[in-house]
Order: sequence, then C-alpha cells, then structure tokens
Amino acid sequence: MCFLIIPFAFLLAMRGTRPAPLQKPVQGLERVWREAVDFFLTASLVLALWTFAGAVERIPPGVREHAILGFGITAYLVSHYQKKTDVFFLSVLASVFMISSKQHNLSHEILLAGIVSAAIAVFQTCFLGLRYKLLFSNVPPSMKGWPILCLLAGWIALVLRGLGGLVF
Amino acid sequence: MLLAYLPFMVYPYDFFRAGVAALWIGVFLWVTVIFFWLTRRFFPGRSLKHAFFLWLIVWAQAVWTLTKLPPHWIISVFFLTPVSFLDDTAKPRHVRVFSKKVPRYFFERALTGVGFAGFVILLALIREVAEKRLGIQAFEQPAGMLLVVSGIAFLWKNQPYQRKG
Repeated sequence: MCFLIIPFAFLLAMRGTRPAPLQKPVQGLERVWREAVDFFLTASLVLALWTFAGAVERIPPGVREHAILGFGITAYLVSHYQKKTDVFFLSVLASVFMISSKQHNLSHEILLAGIVSAAIAVFQTCFLGLRYKLLFSNVPPSMKGWPILCLLAGWIALVLRGLGGLVF
Repeated sequence: MLLAYLPFMVYPYDFFRAGVAALWIGVFLWVTVIFFWLTRRFFPGRSLKHAFFLWLIVWAQAVWTLTKLPPHWIISVFFLTPVSFLDDTAKPRHVRVFSKKVPRYFFERALTGVGFAGFVILLALIREVAEKRLGIQAFEQPAGMLLVVSGIAFLWKNQPYQRKG
C-alpha cells in the first residue's frame, strides 16, 4: 500500500485542504489529523454503503460490476456534503478502489482504510514539520518551491518505507 | 504537471504501459476540452462542475470495464485541465502558429497533452533503467521517482535562458 499512501499523502498535503499558515504549526497539525479522520470516515462510509448495496438481493448482478461508478458518485456526494476539495474526493475514490480490490471483507477493508488514513496523516505531519523547520534554514532561492518540496517528500517516503519494512 | 504525474506512482507500470496510459490521458484531455468547450452553454451555473466530474467517473468506469486500466488516470486529467475551464464566460485568445491564428486555449491544451505524455515516457524510461538495469532499490517505490521529479523541477526552475521579470 506504500504505492498508494505516498503519492496521495503528497497530493493531499499540497492540494487537499486550505493550508494553515506555516508559522502556526500546531494549527496545521490539528488540520492534518482532522482531515485524516475525515478521510477515514468518508472512505469507510463509501465502502460500507457499497457492501450493503451489494448484499441486497434485488439489485441485479450487473450493477455490482460498476463499482467505480458507485464509489465515484457516493464519494462525490459525501465529499460535496462536507465541503471538501475536489482533490479529497478524487483521493477517496482512488483509495477506496485500491482497498476494495485488495480486500473483500468489510471489516478488513475498514481496517485497511484506517491504516492508509493514519499513514497519510503521519506523512503529512512529517512534511509539515520539515517545512516549518525550513523557515529557519537558508534554502537557496533556486531550490525553493517544487524542488525542495519533492525532495522532502522523497526523503520522508524513504524513511517511512524503511520503518514500514521493520514493522510489517 | 508534477501533480498530474503522481497517480503514475500508485501502479508500477512498465515502460510500455506507462506510455500507453500517458497517451490515452493526453487524447482524453483533448476530447474533454473540446466537448466541454462546445457544450458548456448547456450547463447552467455550477452544474458544469458536477457534469465534469460525472463525465470523469463514467469514463473511468468505461475504461476499467474495457481495458482494466485503474481509475487513477482521471486525477491526471483533472490536474491537466485548466483552472478557468469551469468558467463559462471565458473566451480564448489567439496565438499565431505557422502564420495561422489558433485559439490560445486549444493550443495550450494540445501542448499540455503532448508535454505530459513526453514527461511520463521520460520518467518511465528513467525508472526502467534505474530499477531494472542499475538495480537501485529506491526506484522500486515512489521515493526514487520523487527524487527524480525534484531534480527535474530544479532544472525547470533554473533554466539558463529563462526570461526574468
């Protein structure tokens, strides 16, 4: 799942929500973890609704084969109701699709959604912390912006991959 | 462009599949832009945005059913689509190409599609060489590609002949 977590954590860190000012890292930290909880709840709700819909016998089997359509419309409505960004909705759709293609039991799917959400929050916390520390460093102007952000994301990805290898 | 590439890290495509997926994204971007440019008057108010996302979801399902291409490619299309895309009052300016005036809007979208396909193919080639030929383990995961993207962003930002101001 590392292939899913790192790109989407970076995507959500850059475009997921209205960013808190870097000068107030505590505020940013709260926002990161609140977004992670929202991500987990939204993904779990979409997975649960689709599982329950699939369990209804009156629904023709052909409908169950259109999972992307079902996930997409549900995720869009739930995200829209929460006034989330478009990137949040697209990330939920991609994550739910990946999770459902790996697990076929609802409890396992929700557990995996929790792990993905927590890992995304850990990545964003590290990213936020390093960006905050960069405020006090003399980063050359030629490295500011995308070059340094991608470099930080790459380093965090390496570390998380190493830690993940030790734990699992 | 960098954000549009991120979904390609989710599935470790080989060089050929990455190239085909990138070309498909470029073609689909052109089709989407032309379709919504011509029909946007029929979508009142904010319904254009809903129609755009429904269009993406329906196509993601159709492509998955036909080719088993995972739906992450719609995120690339979303990031390649211009910000002013959902503005129904926008009018294209013109740019001169080979002594003909072409709407700048379509010209830029055409370049975006070609540029993105080239960008993905270049990165897929780098990944193929680094992972398979050189055996660098960092390229078996997104970290390696993020470091390469960082290098490309650095080179892009510090182009020697870039105009200042």
